[in-house]
Amino acid sequence: MQSDTAGSWVPVALSSDLPALAVMPARIASETVALWRSASGRATASADRCPHRGMRLSHGFVRGEALSCIYHGWSYAQGGQCLKIPAHPGLTPPETIRVVTYAVAEQDGVVWAAAGAPAGEPPRLNGFAPLRSVTVDAAIGFIEAAAGVGMNADGFLSPADAPSGLCLLLSDQGAGQTLVHVLIGQDAGPSARIAASRAVEALRRRAEALSTEGAGA
Amino acid sequence: MKLYDYILSPSCYKVRLMAALAGAALELKPVDFHPGNEHRSPAMLALNPAGTIPILEDGDLLLTESSAMLAYIAAKAAPGWLGGDSAEETARIQQWLAFSARLTSSLGGARLTQMLLVPCDIAALQKSGIAALRELEAGLVEQSLRGCRFLAADRPTIADIACFPYVALAPDGNVSLDPYPTIRLWSRALRALPGFIEMPGIHRLHELKPEPEVQAEEA
Repeated sequence: MQSDTAGSWVPVALSSDLPALAVMPARIASETVALWRSASGRATASADRCPHRGMRLSHGFVRGEALSCIYHGWSYAQGGQCLKIPAHPGLTPPETIRVVTYAVAEQDGVVWAAAGAPAGEPPRLNGFAPLRSVTVDAAIGFIEAAAGVGMNADGFLSPADAPSGLCLLLSDQGAGQTLVHVLIGQDAGPSARIAASRAVEALRRRAEALSTEGAGA
Repeated sequence: MKLYDYILSPSCYKVRLMAALAGAALELKPVDFHPGNEHRSPAMLALNPAGTIPILEDGDLLLTESSAMLAYIAAKAAPGWLGGDSAEETARIQQWLAFSARLTSSLGGARLTQMLLVPCDIAALQKSGIAALRELEAGLVEQSLRGCRFLAADRPTIADIACFPYVALAPDGNVSLDPYPTIRLWSRALRALPGFIEMPGIHRLHELKPEPEVQAEEA
């Protein structure tokens, strides 16, 4: 799986959870980012901290092709440079005022981001479609133990006793948390999707129970 | 209709929000909940012996439960918000109205502890708040798989208004909303409704308003 090393793709969100003009928090390794989608549909990952007063940019808002801070409205382009400071409307912000941005790739309904310059494309889902993302308060090892199977090198895992056609894409969030993107066969109907969503809730309970026992041991 | 109101109370905000969305007029009577403790004064206890707010008064109708107030305002001014087009929808509305009490006790309790230093076991409140948020997230995921963006139907109902405020203010009790992408989409859909009003800590969607015209500095 893409570990915490710079330059590897991390599955940060599902495309359907990030509509146009929305911003959400996400994590790349230990970094928190503001993941946002512009009016034209382009996804960008910016550092989640306004250089002005440190407010989280994921609390901000998107207008057109720019992300604005909720605090004082400083707005940032997809390349990270500050475009406007509303309290100084006549000022062109100096180029030194900018936020760090990260590489973003989007395919098969998953948004991937990387801290460095990753070689190659993110892995494909090969017939699976994203269902939902779930945060689990347990490290990947406990999820593997609860699922009865290990994940492969790309971060995919198919639980042994889950409904057929269910696959999980795991991403280490640090601090004992794992982001799990739930994938299901593209032709699954609504009932199978609801059953898969409930199966993952049960898997999360098992993994978190194992993690609590592990911590107590 | 007269609402005995406190601006920072999420339960009072439910009633103000419902009235705004339904286009119903409310007369607001501010109650000095903090620091005055006015909701426990003899005059207020005469209206509501339980000593809670909001209280909604309309003629000789006196309501002290916010879910009942939502139903009353909707029935009078905007019956579509009552939902209930099918047996399932009726049941879902009742399910989430009852569930909203768990949000109030858990997330609302954690918020009171953080903001007003009410002594409580905050770790236990946060834990039950997270459990409730996970149930809400799962419920909204299942609704979206049925093609519905809201808790009981593909249009908002009183069930959404009953659950929304304590969820949106969870961070006040140090409970993060970061792990809930479907709650985030639902919150956006509610805040985008025509007639939506704010309360401190719950802001409108700035992106839906045109960029304000700003005067040049030397003007």
